[in-house]
Amino acid sequence: MIRFENVVKKFGERTVLNGITFSVDAGEILFILGTSGTGKSVLLKNIVGLLRPTSGRIFIDDEEVTHLSEEEYLSIRKKCGMVFQHPALFDSLTVFENIAFGLRRHYQLDEEEIRRRVARVLGLVNLPDVEERFPAKLSYGMQKRVSLARTVAIDPQILLFDEPTTGLDPVTTNTINNLIRDLSRTLHTTSLVVSHDMHCALAIADKILVLDKGSIVAYGTADEMKRSTQPLVKDFLQEALELAKTH
Amino acid sequence: MIALAYNSWVGSLEFLALAANTLIRTILPPYRFRDILRQVVFVAYESAPIVVFCVSFAAVVTIIEASFHMKLIIKNDAMVPGFASLLILRELGAVVSALLITSRVGAGLAAEVGSMQVTEQIDALRMLGMDPVRYLVVPRFVACVIGGFLLSIVANLVCLYCAMMVSQVSLGYSPGSFLMSMRTFVHFQDLIFSSIKGACFGAVIPLFSCYYGFRCRAGAEGVGLATTNSVVSTSVAIIIIDFVLSWLFTHFY
Amino acid sequence: MRKLIEIIDDIGGGLLFLRDVFRSGARGPWRYDIIAEQIWKVTQQSFSTTALAGFFVGAIMTVQFTMQIKEFGALGYLGGLATSGTIREVGPLLIAFMLSGKVGAFTSAELGTMRVTEQIDAIRCLGANPLREIIFPRFVGIVVSSFFLLAVGLVMSVAGGLLMGLVFSGINPEEYLRHIPTIVSFPSILSGLIKCLAFALVLSSICTYKGYTTTGGAKGVGRSVVNTAVATMVGIVIMDWLTSYLGETVLRMVMGS
Repeated sequence: MIRFENVVKKFGERTVLNGITFSVDAGEILFILGTSGTGKSVLLKNIVGLLRPTSGRIFIDDEEVTHLSEEEYLSIRKKCGMVFQHPALFDSLTVFENIAFGLRRHYQLDEEEIRRRVARVLGLVNLPDVEERFPAKLSYGMQKRVSLARTVAIDPQILLFDEPTTGLDPVTTNTINNLIRDLSRTLHTTSLVVSHDMHCALAIADKILVLDKGSIVAYGTADEMKRSTQPLVKDFLQEALELAKTH
Repeated sequence: MIALAYNSWVGSLEFLALAANTLIRTILPPYRFRDILRQVVFVAYESAPIVVFCVSFAAVVTIIEASFHMKLIIKNDAMVPGFASLLILRELGAVVSALLITSRVGAGLAAEVGSMQVTEQIDALRMLGMDPVRYLVVPRFVACVIGGFLLSIVANLVCLYCAMMVSQVSLGYSPGSFLMSMRTFVHFQDLIFSSIKGACFGAVIPLFSCYYGFRCRAGAEGVGLATTNSVVSTSVAIIIIDFVLSWLFTHFY
Repeated sequence: MRKLIEIIDDIGGGLLFLRDVFRSGARGPWRYDIIAEQIWKVTQQSFSTTALAGFFVGAIMTVQFTMQIKEFGALGYLGGLATSGTIREVGPLLIAFMLSGKVGAFTSAELGTMRVTEQIDAIRCLGANPLREIIFPRFVGIVVSSFFLLAVGLVMSVAGGLLMGLVFSGINPEEYLRHIPTIVSFPSILSGLIKCLAFALVLSSICTYKGYTTTGGAKGVGRSVVNTAVATMVGIVIMDWLTSYLGETVLRMVMGS
């Protein structure tokens, strides 16, 4: 579904991604773990074309997207939904208009259908009765859920999450993790989740990829991770074990 | 409406409190000479190139506009040097340099204090027993007063010098005749008044910036708003103070 | 030297940005609703500040001129002289400085916030072109409304001068106004308006460019607001010179001297 071939991304002199190669199959959930500032978000933004790689190639559905123009990329972005680190809701629009924004751009739908779809995705994230409110009036956790609803609304085949649960309480974190899992099971959505929460990763990921300083240091299933001898992976596991104990 | 009036009333009281606080702490020891000196370098020395650059352009424009104008109405340009130096010394020198300091230093200060407020650094200062007004505002206040004073003198001199050169090149006045014409319109006391204006403008800049910085609300939006508000309020205050001082100075001629 | 290259880099980046904005904005369907909304928003926000600034600039100029003209005993001409001095040079410059704080800094803070909270990226992901949907309407809106605001400021400066003429120099409004048409000629008004338009263009380009290219969180927003304010003022001063210079050249050609 998504394939990276030796992707390098440089900002000026600084190399952020240093030869990344991996692939994700349809319907899989891939967790990308790593400490702050190791290029996790940059990797996601390369997929949807918000950033372009310095060298290397990226394939989506076996179509090379590396050299597409901004206009040609629109058809790719219709397939991809990205949930940003910040809620990134449009302040000047109501929750309803925020969610309808992508629907109006990507599909020709009548108002009735849009209304129905918005109600459905708000139901998915457990937020009824907020359609007419403005994002500034909602709590941070609610904003994040609206942001997720906005992304899911366009029925993407690929979902990209940039730290979806950072800064949220445990209950909301659980809701979002369950949602990611359900979407991939029921709609067969491919998900890439950037996170530093090994605990969640072990629970719902099919594959886990650990980044450090722009390179892949470990890649495999949850079981393979548990047996890994890589020091960074061990640190992450230690953290997850302690977290599991306290719960 | 009532809430708005109430808010602006409380706001102006808070501003006056900050201003009074700053003045008292400026006068009382301990003095932080090293901090003040560092700020003077930032405010006056590092802003000097941009001020000089802008006022020299303003000087050229003043000469061109004045001559254009005079030729059109009284068909000769004999009064151009006097007229231009009047505009420069009374208005342009001090106000243009003050507005430039507002955007370079004032806006920067509001952004800096605002980010400190958002990231709770101001609270951290308080916890360490340091008074944010003494530590942050006072050195910048003193530096801006000194900087405003010095820069308005520099701006006026550079501006007049440029005007002299331009009128020699494009209107054919020798420096001597320029100065002669200038003497009938302006006097040395104009330069003194102008630098007093500069010092007063300098005084309001850090007060507004720090006031909005301290009240900064969380997030990127808050910092942007604090910076914008400080620039706008300071510029309006400068224009109004300019008016009051101009009126006041007319009694001394 | 390095600083100089940085400045040139910045100017080049700004021009490329403007080209992109016009390519994607002018071609697509014009969003008149958003443009109208922007014009209304900017005008409404800044109207009182600009009017106040214009009023005081006019008042200051009258005070300054009064003392001088008194010596020549030509107080009757006060209205004409002060108005023409204000409209041609000091007025547009100072009011534009004021707007660079109000409109320019505000817009760059708004766009910078949208950038660092990833709203601009979100727009791109949801299949819209931010240059067309966000930047172009703002650009046009700011040009139109700043031009209008500057003109309002100039009119207010006449009012301010009029009031000070009455209070400070004891000239009744009728006499103040009588000499304005004899001294303020049509070219003066035209050059004042052309300056306003040039300033509006500079203001709009710099604040949209600086806001759109913000990086680095809340601190970055603060930084781009400061840069916008400084760059706009420098740009306005240079534009002031350019329009005056061109105006003089044109006048020379017309008058044939």
